[in-house]
Amino acid sequence: MTIQETYKARVKKLLASGTVKMVIGYKPGTTADRRRPHFIRTPEEADQLVLDSACITNLSGYLLSEGLLSDEKAVAIFLKPDGIRSINILAAEAQLNSEQILILGFDSNDNQVTALEGEKVEEFTTLIESIKEQAPEALKNPLLEQIEGMTPKERFAFWQGEFSRCIKCYACRQACPMCYCRRCIVDCNQPQWVNTSSHTLGNFEWNIVRAFHLSGRCVGCGNCDRACPVNIPLRLINAKMAQEVLGAFDHFSGMSHTQEPVLASFKKDDSETFIL
Amino acid sequence: MAKIGVFICHCGENISAKVDCKKLAATIAEHPGVAVSVDYKYFCADPGQESIKKAIRENHLTGVVVAACSPRMHEATFRKACAEAGLNPYMCEIANIREHCSWVHTDQDMATEKAADITRSMVEKVKRNNKLQPIEVPVTRRALVIGGGVAGIQAALDIANAGQEVVLVEREPSLGGHMAQLSETFPTLDCSQCILTPRMVEAAQHPKIRLLTYAEVVSVDGYIGNFHVKVKMKARYVDMESCTGCGDCITKCPQKKISSEFDCGIGKRAAIYTPFAQSVPNKPVIDKATCTYFKNGKCKICMRSCQINAINFDMQDEFIELEIGAIVVATGFQVQNNAVYGEYGYGKYPDVITGLQFERLASASGPTFGKILRPSDGKEPKNIVFIQCAGSRDPSKGVRYCSKICCMYTAKHAMLYSHKVHDGKSHIFYMDIRAAGKGYDEFTRRTIEEDGVSYLRGRVSKVWPKMSKLMVRGVDTLLGKPVVIAADMVVLATAMVPQPDAKEFAKTIGIAYDEYGFFNEAHLKLRPVESSTAGIFLAGTCQSPKDIPDSVSQASASASKVLALFSKQTLEREPVVASNNEATCAGCWGCVLACPYNAIEKKDILDRSGKLIKRVASVNPGLCQGCGTCVTFCRSNSLDLAGFTEKQIFAEVMGL
Repeated sequence: MTIQETYKARVKKLLASGTVKMVIGYKPGTTADRRRPHFIRTPEEADQLVLDSACITNLSGYLLSEGLLSDEKAVAIFLKPDGIRSINILAAEAQLNSEQILILGFDSNDNQVTALEGEKVEEFTTLIESIKEQAPEALKNPLLEQIEGMTPKERFAFWQGEFSRCIKCYACRQACPMCYCRRCIVDCNQPQWVNTSSHTLGNFEWNIVRAFHLSGRCVGCGNCDRACPVNIPLRLINAKMAQEVLGAFDHFSGMSHTQEPVLASFKKDDSETFIL
Repeated sequence: MAKIGVFICHCGENISAKVDCKKLAATIAEHPGVAVSVDYKYFCADPGQESIKKAIRENHLTGVVVAACSPRMHEATFRKACAEAGLNPYMCEIANIREHCSWVHTDQDMATEKAADITRSMVEKVKRNNKLQPIEVPVTRRALVIGGGVAGIQAALDIANAGQEVVLVEREPSLGGHMAQLSETFPTLDCSQCILTPRMVEAAQHPKIRLLTYAEVVSVDGYIGNFHVKVKMKARYVDMESCTGCGDCITKCPQKKISSEFDCGIGKRAAIYTPFAQSVPNKPVIDKATCTYFKNGKCKICMRSCQINAINFDMQDEFIELEIGAIVVATGFQVQNNAVYGEYGYGKYPDVITGLQFERLASASGPTFGKILRPSDGKEPKNIVFIQCAGSRDPSKGVRYCSKICCMYTAKHAMLYSHKVHDGKSHIFYMDIRAAGKGYDEFTRRTIEEDGVSYLRGRVSKVWPKMSKLMVRGVDTLLGKPVVIAADMVVLATAMVPQPDAKEFAKTIGIAYDEYGFFNEAHLKLRPVESSTAGIFLAGTCQSPKDIPDSVSQASASASKVLALFSKQTLEREPVVASNNEATCAGCWGCVLACPYNAIEKKDILDRSGKLIKRVASVNPGLCQGCGTCVTFCRSNSLDLAGFTEKQIFAEVMGL
């Protein structure tokens, strides 16, 4: 039996037994290589379920849909390791109770999909620890290194060029599981800190704010990158911030559901004397 | 419609030398919303303040900007003046054109332009200021004094004698601190213990002082007037209530060869001990690390010898919680470890000792009962070399600062030695003689002129043993010649350094410290006894090296600050506190973690039937110190800080 069929059977069983009220997975999309989210409420709906190497979207953001988790009933969700890390962050930031989430873990390499052992987020700790160990290498990217090699002026020009295509659609914000605020800072107009126009200043402001708000939180799932209709390499900015927090604070996002946010916590033995 | 008054101060010539104040006033007068724009030599002086008040009344000003020195200097002064003229004090802002402009620039035109920018920016801010009302918080009239040395004792007694309650916490088994270790004190040569021990007894018996010895402060929460303090009472294994201090246990203890901390390793003590004979309280403790019972599970001789069964090996550390209104930190100093000077051989040659060890030798209550004897063979040294600045003023191996007391105590040591050993000869290697203080220079002159001590200006490069002597090679820079002295003993004037755990302790109680670990005062000149945290005051050598008179003065000054705080039932706090927009709060609790004052709580928002709608952050204005950390962290921009609102800051930035 293929992994897809195994999981399909499992989903049907979970729904039939009432263990979970919903399973969030994937179904065929508009083209052959695209998948769209599938919200499965009955065993019959599970027939449409697809699980293959085209299932790349991090679905964890859907868990925060208004009212979904408020009845405290369990929800199962298909997640890759990055998505599992998202669950840890969302739990650490009190956006969901990880006890309520049943993880149907999988990973894909070279078009091969493999199942991941475990249901609760804590059961994936060893896996996430191994990802952290590989992170310094994994975060490396030829384009990123090329950008780092530029002079500040060249780098500014590079990003100015990339951002010049931005149409301020905020698809990156919509696609990101970490952008759950009820009111985003860009929607705040008294005062208007972030310029909403699609000119150099507005584009830089938005992307710098985005980079800071995601530093130490981004899991590198690439949802933003794929959502961008004008192909701005957004993931590079986040990867750079991930490198920075890993190097400076040994912080790797989504290690556990009790992990403290890197920018809001401090250690008493910090070498900086201004930390009281 | 805004009517802003702008008052541009010359600050004598501090500002006007670099900023054209007349031109600045004319420029600012053009700015929208500015009703009055004038300059004057000293706005902080009485006529200056009066002119501001007059302008407020006559022009019905809605806001005031004083372009002058740093707000840390005179913000309070000008806000008070505004309040007296009927304007809400929080409608007054300071544009800092001195520290931020005239003091740091040389080009007059550019400085004037920058001053205009700074002033305009504050005008834009003040247009958006809100009328704030001070927050009143109750004051717990009970002081905590941390450290039972001379400074702590003085502060505790001063506060208690004024009728307020004091908790005095000392981590050693006895009060006394370093002063109890000293022999005689400069410049009057009165016996240290004779002047200190009566104070120790007074502090211990004072009805307003609760003395906690062998205790450590482990946490401090809360804020000025309302601190919550947790103190660890270390297990003494001796019941304080029933122990009579007879000392039988100490005599019977089989472990008697333990190096005495109080005698700086020159004397010995038992495993159950009081640090010194005049200890207060005069009740022993068991040193768990060296006690035979705790090491081997067998012994308990002290327990059997105690006739009133005061010894209890099952005693545990206890924690007590205290409600405190103000804290005086008097945690003292340590001497630097001289082993860093390999060339002096401290730790290698037993007759190379520190100044503090010399104090113990010279002290009547010391291990030699006041006789100056060599630690190596117990013989009386006939020639002593004192090396000053052994650590101080030495950026390469020691510390950069001057320890302040060494010139004086070295002179005293040489003098005491000449009084005790009449045929003894002493040499002092020094860099400069720093004897500033009442009767101090007279004292060092006496050492040189009457007691015949030879002062050699220069450094020592090496000390090495030869037969039973210590050869000291140095240089006399005044003669320009190298000197070699065959000494019987070498005394190092060791640097005064902060307690080894000073930085950690500062973090525990939440005060700032410098690169060495000395605690920082709020202002070196104008607020030398206040720490950077409101309600926490400093006394003695925990702030910087000091002698006894300075430590005592600072302790009394701290006590007067505490008493001023306790003179009122309630305390007015600045209304600069954060508040949260509950509608937009995402409840991520980043602010709860980021808040250094634990001022943010989680609040449930319920519907009419009591069902939870959502949980949001809520700021307790009594605890909030207005630091703004939460505001900078909040991703959804839900938190805002009164007096520094987003709108104000934005206008300020845009005004530039």
